[in-house]
Amino acid sequence: MTLLEVQALDAFYGDFQALFGVTVHVEAGETVALIGANGAGKTTFLKCLVGLIDSRRGQIRFAGEPIVGEPAERISRLGLSLVPEGRLLFPSLNVEENLMMGALNRRPGAWTLARVYELFPVLGERRRQRPDQLSGGQQHMVAIGRALMSNPKLLLCDEISLGLAPLVVDQIYESLGSIRAEGASIVLVEQDVKRAAGAADRVYCLLKGRVTLHGQARGMGLDQLSRAYFGT
Amino acid sequence: MIWVETIINGVLYGGLYGLLGVGLALIVGVMRVVNLSHGEFIVLSAFLGVSLVGVVPWLHPLALLLPVALIAFVLGFVLQAVLINRVVTRPDPFAGILLTFGVAVVMRNLMVEVYGADPRHLQAGRLAQASAGIGDLHVGVLPLLILALSVALFTGLQLILTRTRFGRIVRATADHRDVVRLMGVNPGRVYNLVMGLSLALASVAGMLLAIRASFTPYSGVERLLVAFEVVVLGGLGTFWGAMLGGIALGVAELVGLRLDPNAGPLYAHLLFLVGVLLRPNGLFRGRS
Amino acid sequence: MTVVRWSLVVLGLLAVVSAPWLIGEGTQRFLSEAMLMLAMAQMWNLLAGYAGLVSMGQQVFVGLGAYCLFFASISLKVAPFWVLPLAPLLCAAVAAVVAVFMFRLREAYFAIGTWVFSEVVSLLVSKTERLGGERGVGLPTARLVDPRWLEPLTFWISAAIAVASVAGTYALLRSRVGLGLMTVRDNDVAAASIGVDVWWNRFIAFVIAAAGCGLAGAVSFTATLYVAPGFAFDPNWVVAMMIIVIIGGIGTLEGPILGVIIYFALREALTVVFGLSAGWYLIGLGIVAIAAILFEPDGLWPMVRGRLGGDWLSVRREPPAPALELSAAAQAAGGVRSSPTEFGATPGDR
Repeated sequence: MTLLEVQALDAFYGDFQALFGVTVHVEAGETVALIGANGAGKTTFLKCLVGLIDSRRGQIRFAGEPIVGEPAERISRLGLSLVPEGRLLFPSLNVEENLMMGALNRRPGAWTLARVYELFPVLGERRRQRPDQLSGGQQHMVAIGRALMSNPKLLLCDEISLGLAPLVVDQIYESLGSIRAEGASIVLVEQDVKRAAGAADRVYCLLKGRVTLHGQARGMGLDQLSRAYFGT
Repeated sequence: MIWVETIINGVLYGGLYGLLGVGLALIVGVMRVVNLSHGEFIVLSAFLGVSLVGVVPWLHPLALLLPVALIAFVLGFVLQAVLINRVVTRPDPFAGILLTFGVAVVMRNLMVEVYGADPRHLQAGRLAQASAGIGDLHVGVLPLLILALSVALFTGLQLILTRTRFGRIVRATADHRDVVRLMGVNPGRVYNLVMGLSLALASVAGMLLAIRASFTPYSGVERLLVAFEVVVLGGLGTFWGAMLGGIALGVAELVGLRLDPNAGPLYAHLLFLVGVLLRPNGLFRGRS
Repeated sequence: MTVVRWSLVVLGLLAVVSAPWLIGEGTQRFLSEAMLMLAMAQMWNLLAGYAGLVSMGQQVFVGLGAYCLFFASISLKVAPFWVLPLAPLLCAAVAAVVAVFMFRLREAYFAIGTWVFSEVVSLLVSKTERLGGERGVGLPTARLVDPRWLEPLTFWISAAIAVASVAGTYALLRSRVGLGLMTVRDNDVAAASIGVDVWWNRFIAFVIAAAGCGLAGAVSFTATLYVAPGFAFDPNWVVAMMIIVIIGGIGTLEGPILGVIIYFALREALTVVFGLSAGWYLIGLGIVAIAAILFEPDGLWPMVRGRLGGDWLSVRREPPAPALELSAAAQAAGGVRSSPTEFGATPGDR
């Protein structure tokens, strides 16, 4: 079943149009990568999905339900979860409290506090610490864990490799395997093309707010990708 | 001896000042709005107390703290929901204070029209005169009670914010108003509750202050300045800092009055200005 | 300025000069009050609308200006109008000192910090017997002025101050300092990053606004012949300034003018026509101010401007004209190259 269906999505920041007719779909159980340069509109796209952009036009259906006009608070209960760009953890809360915030909209499922600590053991050791006492990679883990606590059907990851050392990124990407195993579908937004394409089933490429490429991740040539990415 | 007594009274009075300020500190910390009508609500609670005393004269004013606090909570909720929530999301940092400024002007003058400009007082009866003695030291029973109540409320607030689910949500909303929406939290509703809590705390302070000193509809200005000084001196984001800031102001004021009976709140204000000059981030730093 | 504008100025001048003979004393006093209020509102607007400083303690300068004038006049035994220039000077000096520590506070904290400062000054004056204490002092040296000229002089000086406040603010905003101020208002971080000295620009605005309020305050109290701390440092001065600017239009020069008209029209309507007490009029104004913040945060001037079809006193700037006129061919070639025929360069030069 098509979990997420986006048709001809336009998005605006005031008078500025950030997305032009974006059409994307995600099937249940898939991992889809969304790549593109800085400013291509990837984060805007994710924000539209979760309801944080007011000015949008087009169709978005999640699990069959149209959600394009809904406010973020209501969309969050449907099973869409975002790991925001820059983590955006709550600095006044410790690790465990941050994770518990994610559980406010808990749907039934495998992800509990214990399970998240199993996935990221280092968080268990640092549960009472504040985000500013954690390393970059650990903060990413908290952000992912927080998003998982609601047991989403679709996990949206915005640049989870940003600013991390390659070994740490490996760790993070490994965790995606367990997440997939528990049944979540994933949208991976990345600037790192190789990583994203490597982890995904299908790839979309965005350039200046438009989809410039779409297809199976396996068959993508680097050439093709870079043309779609840079627009040359 | 008289100096020790003065200082002790200053501390006790200061606890009340801290209570005046903590409601404002809560609002500033959570929604970055300085509620300029905070003082007017403090005075309004005192007037409500006086009116209620008229209705149930057999009840001691202290027993009216809870009903007035509940009324204040509702007023705060409505104020936030109807007015302040509309400007809280605006990028202009002054919209909030200009709006609450307008509310203060309206409230102040409405109170004059409704209650008149004469000074009022909340009578606490014999309790106000009673004093406890430890050796040569005499301390009023009422101020002790007030300090105990202030500490209890402070502690209660701190516990709510750090140990409860609601407190967690409030802190998270204060950190990232948009991100909490992703977790199903409506920031506007959180703000409504926080404003209600803020004014409930202010109302307790208002009634207690009305027992200690007389007030008029114009007293709101003075109360606001005290509350504000407490917030700034205490360091933004700490509640115990606010309590300590309040105590510092209380001591400064009473010591000053003993040295200089005409001073009014002058020495408290001077302490504030000196504090700002030396440590603009507040005397105490830390997290809420 | 155009012929129309010049003739308006001349007509205005004639009207002001001849007014004392044409209108009664009561009306003169009313207009003087309104014009002084306009000056003060322009000062508050300069701070809040252009420098990004919301000052809730501006009344301290109103009071200081008044006290300065009274005591200078009394101790030097001269008619008050001669020592008028001292009021803005004193206020400027005080403002310069105050700015040093008040500028450490941001936004709302600056607003209330200035208010605390005003209360401190008020309390200090109340406690000082030599300054008249709580009861205040009168102005015996006013007798040195011919009583027939007292009202007209006040009127003309008030008019001059009002015009100067508008013209002066206009000139300031069109100058380099003004450009700096407006960048600071819009985005002080960005302004600093392009080399605008944020602190200095705000400092200048703060000092000027203090001087302006001091001057207006001095004249205002000269007219009443009496000053006391309760009146001189009354927060209602800044309440009036704020309401006028908020309703009229913050950040524009025309806004305070419109605001003053509305403020006084409303006051006269409510107190004279409906016979309501001053309290109800303030309540009404407060409600209008709240409505303004909620629905028209830019004030009423932008709406009126649309109807009038243009600005009276815009301080917006045009971008500079292009330095070179390119021929169509040169533009198509995609570069700024001087046309050989105009600048004498031969083809092949770069």
